[in-house]
Amino acid sequence: MSTAATTHSTPTTHHARRRARTAAAFLLPFALLFAVAYLAPIGYTLYQSLFKMHRDGLGLSAPTKVFAGLGNYSDALHDPVFRSSLLRVLLIGVVQVPVMLGLALGLALLLDAKGTLFKRFFRLAFFLPYALPGVVGALMWSYLVAPGLSPITSAAHALGLHLDLTSGPMLAPTIGNMLTWGWTGYNMLIIYSALQAIPPELAEAARMDGCSALGIAWHVKIPIVRPALVLTTVFSIIGTAQLYNEPAVLQHVAPNLSSNYTPIFAAYNAVNDNNFGYAATESVILAALAFVLSFGFLKLVGRRGAAL
Amino acid sequence: MRRRQIRAVALCAALASMAVVSGCSSSGSTGSSQSPSSAGGTVKLDFWGWAPGYEQSVALFNKSHPGIQVTFDKTPSGSKGGYTKMLTAAQAGNAPCLGMVGYETMPSFAAAGAMMDVTQYLAPARSQFAAWTWNQVTIGGKTYGAPVDTAPMGLLYRKDLFAKYGISKPPVTWAEYAADAAKVHAADPSVYLGDFGNDAYNYAGLAWQAGAPWFGTSGGQWQVSLNSPANQKVAGYWQGLLDKKLLKTDPSYDPTLYKDMAAGKILSDVNAVWDTPILASSVKGTSGKWAVAPMPVWDAANPVYGNDGGSATVVLKGCAHPKEAAEFATWMSTDPSSVSNLIKVTGIYPAATSGLSNPALSAPDPFYGGQVVFDVFKAETPHIDTSWVWGPTMTQTSTDLGDGLGTSAAGSTRMPDVLTTVQNKTVAQLKQQGMSVSG
Repeated sequence: MSTAATTHSTPTTHHARRRARTAAAFLLPFALLFAVAYLAPIGYTLYQSLFKMHRDGLGLSAPTKVFAGLGNYSDALHDPVFRSSLLRVLLIGVVQVPVMLGLALGLALLLDAKGTLFKRFFRLAFFLPYALPGVVGALMWSYLVAPGLSPITSAAHALGLHLDLTSGPMLAPTIGNMLTWGWTGYNMLIIYSALQAIPPELAEAARMDGCSALGIAWHVKIPIVRPALVLTTVFSIIGTAQLYNEPAVLQHVAPNLSSNYTPIFAAYNAVNDNNFGYAATESVILAALAFVLSFGFLKLVGRRGAAL
Repeated sequence: MRRRQIRAVALCAALASMAVVSGCSSSGSTGSSQSPSSAGGTVKLDFWGWAPGYEQSVALFNKSHPGIQVTFDKTPSGSKGGYTKMLTAAQAGNAPCLGMVGYETMPSFAAAGAMMDVTQYLAPARSQFAAWTWNQVTIGGKTYGAPVDTAPMGLLYRKDLFAKYGISKPPVTWAEYAADAAKVHAADPSVYLGDFGNDAYNYAGLAWQAGAPWFGTSGGQWQVSLNSPANQKVAGYWQGLLDKKLLKTDPSYDPTLYKDMAAGKILSDVNAVWDTPILASSVKGTSGKWAVAPMPVWDAANPVYGNDGGSATVVLKGCAHPKEAAEFATWMSTDPSSVSNLIKVTGIYPAATSGLSNPALSAPDPFYGGQVVFDVFKAETPHIDTSWVWGPTMTQTSTDLGDGLGTSAAGSTRMPDVLTTVQNKTVAQLKQQGMSVSG
């Protein structure tokens, strides 16, 4: 019995080991790249954020690197410039993300509706802004809003309105508009493909029960594409946290856009100031906030989902 | 299942936001080019810079120095990423041997420990340079490179249009400049005498001229005086012109500026000597119609002028051949053929005393109606304050001041307040970087 067991188990463990080795061979390229391009920079960033440069007096000779614990974090959290960059991006996100996703959902439902004409044309047309490189879109918009060049501003002038889309208070709406223009189609496509996956019998059954088209959208389709909505929201939260392209391009025509407009601007400036530890700290704080916000959102919808 | 997937994607994306920025700081930890190869007895040196004409000087050097071969790599200009590239490379230990660094940024480089002390190799060349330029490349008693040029400022103006608007001679004082600005604008509201740009270093030249220093040192501490009464006087003057809307407000070196200049909507620019070829290539269609005059002064009886720029060829940290690097730096700034080339192509005003008698300085310039423009700058040079000191946080200071110049041009801030803001931010930055500041 015992001999039988041993003779039986030997090929199994051998087999299992071989399988594990094959799996490891397949995983290795990914794991290596992941470690080199992803984990290592993150680890290095965390490590760097704990150090400050120590200088004496005028500080005109090579500084020494000293362990600062959370000193950089305390500095960054008390830094009014960095704090206002975070707040600015948060406000843009709070307004822009719901507007954009509402639009995306509406357009996706319209495309999915039975009676819609020229579906293929509209699907492509809505998606087209996303196909354009982000910087090109931002350049185009920056000419559309630049004082002196903007047809929008001159149209407003013709109506007797004074409108400057690059003035301080108008910057956030202008950037929000650029983001919405660029990303609505992308989000629409994700929601639209989720809608496509709904079996037609469901809508059919609802219609048989006397449900209107609007009712089907509200009671059947939207609940089913909820995971897609959650996904696009999380993407949008993270995308907003990383806001850079649009304001960076817009800055050329908008002198009111400060060089610390978004947290990434602030971190980049810290690099320019040769303050690597501080740049790392600002990056970590930004990533942590994006993390907390997106996971907070997931928790929130998770709890509500359970209650439904 | 679905949610877990979303969660994983979210985690990756959130972390990616961190990797994006940290990528800037951790780039190139490989440190391979630390020691330039010296195969076959030839020393190879890399040189990072952006000015036009440097490449030709490097080629001249390589031709006459078979034992040393310099490779010039064009980087973005300093404030547009060139300095960041050098600093990160120095941080990572793979910087080139040589870098083009403006005097204004040298203290920041010294504070970063990004340059190499080459006093022993450069000291013998000291007497070949204007004394104050030597002070600009010597920080805390250590010399880091050879000065290339100085940058006296002048008034570059449209001679034909000045005559058309009844300005018989270019303004000598800032009071005359203000009066002429009003005169031009009254004659045609779409035309302006000058432009209020957003270049912090151009503005620094105006402060320099007014005897309004930004930085000083005393008792081992930095003093920041961006907000001093002398600086507020300069700020008040320009704010006054802005309030009366007498200046165009195109961003500095922007296509819109050159478009307006080409169209005759902006008649002049107060800028440094090195801007004379830049302007010439930016508004080619108006060639022959321009001229150069001394920049307006505060006191005609006692004229004092400003300086906007000037740079050095420095030896960067980790250079394996500092002796050869110093030899190249000295050669580039002093050799007559190199200096001729730099005067003609780059538009430098040489820091080397021998360069001041270079024949290229007396060549008439067809863009400026055949004027020998360097004569103007030569006459100004003895009247430029040579005690100006740059601080170690000029990247931050110039960024914040540039923002403030832009917002003041747009009318959403006022220059006197901008100076206060920049003063406070600069002091905070010095403290954050661990330096002693008084006030």
